[in-house]
Amino acid sequence: MSLVRETPNQAVVRKVLIPNEPGLHARPASVFVKLACKFDSEIWVGCNDDKVNGKSIIGLLTLAAGKGMQIAIEAEGKDAKIAVDALAALVEGNFEIT
Amino acid sequence: MKTQKVTVERFHLNIASEMGLRLVAGAGGLSRVIREPTINRPGLALTGFTKYFASNRIQVFGAAEATYLKTLSEEQRVERYGSLCGHRIPCFVFSRNLKPDSQFIKAAEAANIPVFRCPLITMNFINRATLAMEDMFAPTGTEQGSMVDILGIGVLIKGESGIGKSECVLALVERGYSLVSDDVTKVKLIDGRQIIGTSPDITQNHMEVRGIGIINVAAMFGVKSIRTEKRINLVISLCDWDDVTDIDRLGMEEESVKILGIPVPHIIIPVRPGRDIARLAEVAAFHTKLKLTGHNAAQELDERLKTQLQSRDITVD
Repeated sequence: MSLVRETPNQAVVRKVLIPNEPGLHARPASVFVKLACKFDSEIWVGCNDDKVNGKSIIGLLTLAAGKGMQIAIEAEGKDAKIAVDALAALVEGNFEIT
Repeated sequence: MKTQKVTVERFHLNIASEMGLRLVAGAGGLSRVIREPTINRPGLALTGFTKYFASNRIQVFGAAEATYLKTLSEEQRVERYGSLCGHRIPCFVFSRNLKPDSQFIKAAEAANIPVFRCPLITMNFINRATLAMEDMFAPTGTEQGSMVDILGIGVLIKGESGIGKSECVLALVERGYSLVSDDVTKVKLIDGRQIIGTSPDITQNHMEVRGIGIINVAAMFGVKSIRTEKRINLVISLCDWDDVTDIDRLGMEEESVKILGIPVPHIIIPVRPGRDIARLAEVAAFHTKLKLTGHNAAQELDERLKTQLQSRDITVD
């Protein structure tokens, strides 16, 4: 059962691959959370069968998403689309702050 | 909610070292799925009666089966083994370190059914394997929320990010209670009624406090401040004061939320600056503990009031 498929209509989901070595460790997670917290939408990140709050560092760390693994960034709220685009760009850009 | 497929390989990996299980044949069948979390003794099937045979289960050969097989001729054994291995059996286990005979190994290899030897006596193996399988078959899930053990009451604290979950947990840990998990709590359903909460392995003992960063709770507050797993007895939802309109002021009705399909008592605590949330969570846990021992303050007060009202009626008459 994939959690991503259960998404209600208004939510926005995008799947991206983790590009960096060794993966989503503490620093990239903190950069991700910092950006995620700027949006009002609820943000979720799914990896394998787990789904965690995208505004929680501890949550992201528990995913243990390594290089090359796929994560699903999901947002629900009025700025959902912008949030997902910005976060996906952040991941694809190797978590470098633009 | 998800239940992972339990393959023979997973079963083997999980309990092999603990129970001294050794694979002696049928390695090609390790990917077989165990479909029932119990053990069967195939005595009846060995006698040739297979009309009702719990073939979905792990089959264990103990002293009884071994002794019975000795009474059979070689041809009979080959025939019975053939019929046994014709079923979709996950694997065979020979307890008491019994040695499967060569015909059995041949039949199991041909059907690709793994065969293990185990030094434990049959009863011990059955008991321990059943417990281990119950754990492996338990439905699991993830809850967004931190978990603390408050004097034996497992409390899952939920709420939007930034509402003060971590601060609340930190204050509770400081008061001497134990952290189970921060922010993400893994849950599993044991024997169909208990919800057990644990921390994801990676973040165990750690929590994030805004402004300070990630802290190691065990290192900072000592080993008593952590707990690896705990049954969830209470869910507390922290909500913004203005968002909570309809709240039970008496606490007479027991609200509940479902985790993995099982109802767990639930309390909503409205958050406002100046409210000591940790203190409230603590009292909520004590309250739950009292209720579990049969006390319900609101109901007792109500009963007292009703008795008084009734006696007053009489005097008026």
